[in-house]
Amino acid sequence: MIRIEGLRVEFDRFRIEELHIRIAEGDFHFLLGPTGSGKTLILESIMGLRKPKEGRIWIGEKEVQSLPPEKREISYVPQDLALFPHLRVRDNIFFGIRARNLDMARYKPYVDDLIEQMRLSPLLDRFPATLSGGEKKRVALLRALAPKPKLLLLDEPLSGLDPSMRKEIQKLLKTLHAFLHPTTLCVTHDFEEAYLLAGEITLCINGRVEQRGKRDEIFFKPRSRKVAEFLGAKNLYRAKVLKEEKETSRFILDVQGLPFSIPGRACPEGLRLGEEVDLFIRPEEVMIIRETKPIKDSLKHNLIEGIIVDIVDRGRDRTVFFESLEGRIPFEIAIPNYAFRNLDLFPRKRVKAALRDESLWLMPLDGGPGL
Amino acid sequence: MSFRKTMIGASVALFLFYFTLLLSLLFFFGAKGFWEVFLHPSTLFSIRLSLVAATLATLLAVVVGLPAAYALSRFEFPGKHVLDTFLEIPMIISPIALGAALLVFFNTPLGTLIQTKGIYFVFEVPGIILAQFASVAGLATRLMKASLDEIAPRYEAVARSLGLSPWLAFYKVTLPLSLRGLTASIILSWAKAVGEFGATVTLAGAMPGKTETLPVAIFLALGSANVERAVVLILILAFLGLITLYAVRLTGKRYHDD
Repeated sequence: MIRIEGLRVEFDRFRIEELHIRIAEGDFHFLLGPTGSGKTLILESIMGLRKPKEGRIWIGEKEVQSLPPEKREISYVPQDLALFPHLRVRDNIFFGIRARNLDMARYKPYVDDLIEQMRLSPLLDRFPATLSGGEKKRVALLRALAPKPKLLLLDEPLSGLDPSMRKEIQKLLKTLHAFLHPTTLCVTHDFEEAYLLAGEITLCINGRVEQRGKRDEIFFKPRSRKVAEFLGAKNLYRAKVLKEEKETSRFILDVQGLPFSIPGRACPEGLRLGEEVDLFIRPEEVMIIRETKPIKDSLKHNLIEGIIVDIVDRGRDRTVFFESLEGRIPFEIAIPNYAFRNLDLFPRKRVKAALRDESLWLMPLDGGPGL
Repeated sequence: MSFRKTMIGASVALFLFYFTLLLSLLFFFGAKGFWEVFLHPSTLFSIRLSLVAATLATLLAVVVGLPAAYALSRFEFPGKHVLDTFLEIPMIISPIALGAALLVFFNTPLGTLIQTKGIYFVFEVPGIILAQFASVAGLATRLMKASLDEIAPRYEAVARSLGLSPWLAFYKVTLPLSLRGLTASIILSWAKAVGEFGATVTLAGAMPGKTETLPVAIFLALGSANVERAVVLILILAFLGLITLYAVRLTGKRYHDD
């Protein structure tokens, strides 16, 4: 278990206030935030390269905030990998074991096994400058894992890779994690990277934790508009609570004159009549209804009539820009290609869109109770 | 004239300027006279004194300058920029002014104490080493800092996370990675120390057979209108300089950053 409690770090005019992170043994935890949100400062503080103003850090049972980096049993893989260019691959891999004076006889079989699994045997006598991007990533990961660290710190492990390499390294990280269960903290601004790999996520914006939780909670139930916007959410609207339907456990909200029926489970607790909230509608959960097909009861709560403004082909799917007739509210709707082909859609066509209950999420304006 | 031709023309003109200067020395040059002057005990003394003094001064400059260069390259601390600016003092004030400042210092109570209880510098060989050190330490630090700046601190961060102390991380990672740049810095500093004249002559004087380094010997030869001796000494100095620069070009292989 890794525990970071009340960490406060200052650098120039930037400050991180009261950071709390808990990472369970063997978890793949992501610290996610936009560039300039203080992720590197946090990472340097955990590593021991920067002295925090306040706060305590435990790695396992050991309190480490006053220990130098070499005593913390953390391995660090920076974004640019920093493989030692003057050492061969073999010496890079065994660097940590030698540096920590670990028992080579005990560690060598484990590392040799990983070398085989990661297909690095033919590269052992080469220098880093002669390796491809993917090979360098594998060597850097193995160098970090070889001394069996208590915490593995990864800085944007998938950034700067082309799509095929990205897939390869993503798969490798998943496989390594599944086999070795290293407790991992990964720092990134790339929410796609976090979505692909994370177990739990701590989301940090401007030095402040905005949300923490399981991956799906963060992506599908953002706590505030700020979080939703950072995650690239489309279809965010300011809404006002008009009434509560107790018998169906639903709330009726108004967005620029267009009523929405929201299930209670998608609403923040203690929602009051007249209160303003932010409404988030997930584009991939909105359906365009085929004229010939009967509409299911579950889709009748939010049936919106409008016209198609534009269609953008994104390769794997289409983005349909739709505008409601009532209130003239713009929506983005993501439609998979196979579904799009059956719909016969084109700009200026009048259609009906149905919002699944799963597509709706309400956020209090102030982000709700503090973390 | 095209842009390219203008630029290359300027570089060729500069080369011709220096080459003509060296060539003009041959006007006074005779092969027999060269060996006579070269093998003269006073010339050999000057060469030996110059090489030993410059080596010791450079060694001292590295011992102090390398940690200072590292600090300036890696750490933020109060007064860093003032310190950095002070390193340029030997480059912006005249070498004679630097030597005069040293001479004045040894007339202060602290300077007198150092001389009476420790080592004599004024008009002595240690004065040559000190004058050369004062002249090159700033430059050596600057050059070594530039070499260390090229090595990303992340290498050390990784080495430390993998278990090395800061001393060992410097020794096993930063030092080997910056070795080429550091070696070039040291060689250039040494070359500057060999050619140092102003501060040396002011602090250690121009005493034949005692504080007569190569530049001082050239000065003395010209003073006594012995042009042939001066020319031979200039050629030795130029040869040493060119050998040094060639050595800089040959130093070590450069590691590619990944």
